[in-house]
Amino acid sequence: MADARSRFRHHRRAWVRHAILLAWTFFIVFPLYWMVSTSFKGAGEWVSWPPHWYPHDFTIHNYRQIFTFSALGEELSRDATDQAFSIWKALGDSLLICSVASFIALVLGVFLAYAISRFAVGGSKFRHIILTIRMVPPIVIAIPILMYYAIMIPFTTEVLFGTRIILFDTYFGLGALYVATTLPFVIWMMLSFIDEVPYTLEHAARMMGAGRMYTLRRVVLPLVASGLVVTYLFVFILNWSEFLLALTLTHPEVTTLPVLLNKFQSASEGRLYGPQAAIGTVITIPVVILGVLIQKHLIKGFSFGMIRK
Amino acid sequence: MAEIVLRDLVKRFGPIAAVAGVNLRIEDGEFLIMVGPSGCGKTTTLNMISGLETPTSGEIRIGDRVVNDLEPGERGLGMVFQDLALFPHMTVFENIAFGLRVKKTDGAEVERRVKAAAEAMHIGALIDKRPSECSGGEAQRVALARTIVNDPSVFLMDEPLSSLDAKLRLDMRTELKHLHHRLRATFVYVTHDQAEAMTMADRIVVMQGGRIEQVGAPLEIYRRPATRFVAGFFGIPTMNFLEGEVAAGGEGDGPAFRSTRVEQPLSASTPTDVAGRAAPLGVRAEHVRLVPSDDGGGRVTLTEPLGDETLVFFEYGGAAPLVAKVDPDSPLGPGDPVAFEFDREWCHLFDAEGGARLN
Ligand SMILES: Nc1ncnc2c1ncn2[C@@H]1O[C@H](COP(=O)(O)OP(=O)(O)OP(=O)(O)O)[C@@H](O)[C@H]1O
Ligand SMILES: [Mg+2]
Repeated sequence: MADARSRFRHHRRAWVRHAILLAWTFFIVFPLYWMVSTSFKGAGEWVSWPPHWYPHDFTIHNYRQIFTFSALGEELSRDATDQAFSIWKALGDSLLICSVASFIALVLGVFLAYAISRFAVGGSKFRHIILTIRMVPPIVIAIPILMYYAIMIPFTTEVLFGTRIILFDTYFGLGALYVATTLPFVIWMMLSFIDEVPYTLEHAARMMGAGRMYTLRRVVLPLVASGLVVTYLFVFILNWSEFLLALTLTHPEVTTLPVLLNKFQSASEGRLYGPQAAIGTVITIPVVILGVLIQKHLIKGFSFGMIRK
Repeated sequence: MAEIVLRDLVKRFGPIAAVAGVNLRIEDGEFLIMVGPSGCGKTTTLNMISGLETPTSGEIRIGDRVVNDLEPGERGLGMVFQDLALFPHMTVFENIAFGLRVKKTDGAEVERRVKAAAEAMHIGALIDKRPSECSGGEAQRVALARTIVNDPSVFLMDEPLSSLDAKLRLDMRTELKHLHHRLRATFVYVTHDQAEAMTMADRIVVMQGGRIEQVGAPLEIYRRPATRFVAGFFGIPTMNFLEGEVAAGGEGDGPAFRSTRVEQPLSASTPTDVAGRAAPLGVRAEHVRLVPSDDGGGRVTLTEPLGDETLVFFEYGGAAPLVAKVDPDSPLGPGDPVAFEFDREWCHLFDAEGGARLN
């Protein structure tokens, strides 16, 4: 009897747990669903009331608009906008800045993390201090950086070297800032991976005549390969979705996707929710793919298959 | 050509001296084992020889070169680590080939030498596996092959067998001895297991507290321990110790050791200047003779049959019980009264203060 009762209680608890998880999942997924479904709606359905829970008039018009290569022709501009809001330029800018900046941050961060892990550079507490840099809200640095990018650096370089170096609205300007802001994360994450590599492996390599760089390349880095991938993807996603700095420090030359997303409105029709939703969907897809990849690597993450563990 | 000389070697970590002045000459081709309790500085000494640790002061010479300032890889040494330190992401082949690859040896040569080393260690079949797919004993062989392939004149080993199970450890002992014979290289081997040291070494270095207590051949160390520490460290069961003093010999009989409960005649060769001093006496279990007797002053508390012999623990009224090795057919059992006597030629006398040997 007691057995049956406890089984009943067990079942009920499982039921409650699943109900809560389902509700939570719905809560999380609904905005995503709304974005994707809006991206397939025509202009009239974007803000209709009562809401259209699914596209009544299914269309891929929004996608054709954002993916067009030429100025919008007769057909494409008809019911939405007369501006060309092609995604290609922003997509290219985003890919370029994010992939290069993430890569540079990764390379720098790996070496810094190695030095901190092995030589306790900066003292034993340094590793914990690194992340506090990220506690500064981006808005606090965005405006001062703007001052430097737009005024101080051009002025100083002109006085000193006779040429004006402008970092505002350049790939280098935004990319350098992305490197700086993500470096703490890279160091922090790589530290946890590099700490896991037993020191005696490096001793063994040194005993066989390998130099520091050779050891790093042949022993340490291959062992933290999963960590490198996870860290790169993590940082890439951070940069990919960064909005505030890009908004403040670029225009009109350089445009990243999150900034483009915000600019998508027309004079005659206000916010263009359909194309915006289409861009949102397009931006999210790589993040989802990367997320799935990260998950696989996270599981693999630390299990190096060390002997005797 | 690969003689190693340590002169006044010191290593400090902050305030503590892990190695506090070590002088040692390691002969070319010998199997030298450093042994001592945990924390006595064995690993630190070995790491200074290898170059992984820099001495605070002192000199290390290999052959006729002072190597203090040479990188580990330039000293011509091979090392086997306690955790083996196999590279988990490489195959056994690549593990063994690592040192050759560093030296940019050409492919065919690498192939040939790796195969030869693997065959020599009987792991030819494992060559394509990962270290994680090898058993403990196999991984041990891979680590040895990885060292052998570089053809070092000196092998340094830091407790390489400590993670193997008991049976395998015994087998590997024999194998290491064979290996030493075959290679004729110098082996410097660290362990805290005195039995391992006794069975394999040409010479044993006993360390304690960062210093060398005694250097000698295994039997010499067993038979004539230089200090009370060494006496207690070697031998199973641990040597019996009795606190007391030495009385000068009267006419007719020689010097004797006296404590409240025991009067033990000593060898005639006992130095005369020991007489009158407080001196703990040490005697091994195999040098204690027991006979059943009602007025001998001893009483058996416990017997441990080992098969080829039996250990008999007995009280005699002193601080700690004593132990004797007797014939396995001996009828002695717990509670039996016994008389005991020590073999006077095998009584060790130590200084009550410093523990140095007196006779
Ligand atoms: N890197 C270090 N920093 C500080 N102290 C150390 C360091 N390495 C060793 N020591 C200290 O030096 C002493 C000797 O250490 P060592 O590793 O040489 O001992 P050991 O004889 O090899 O012991 P075990 O049998 O446990 O391996 C110990 O007290 C240890 O705590
Ligand atoms: Mg040690």
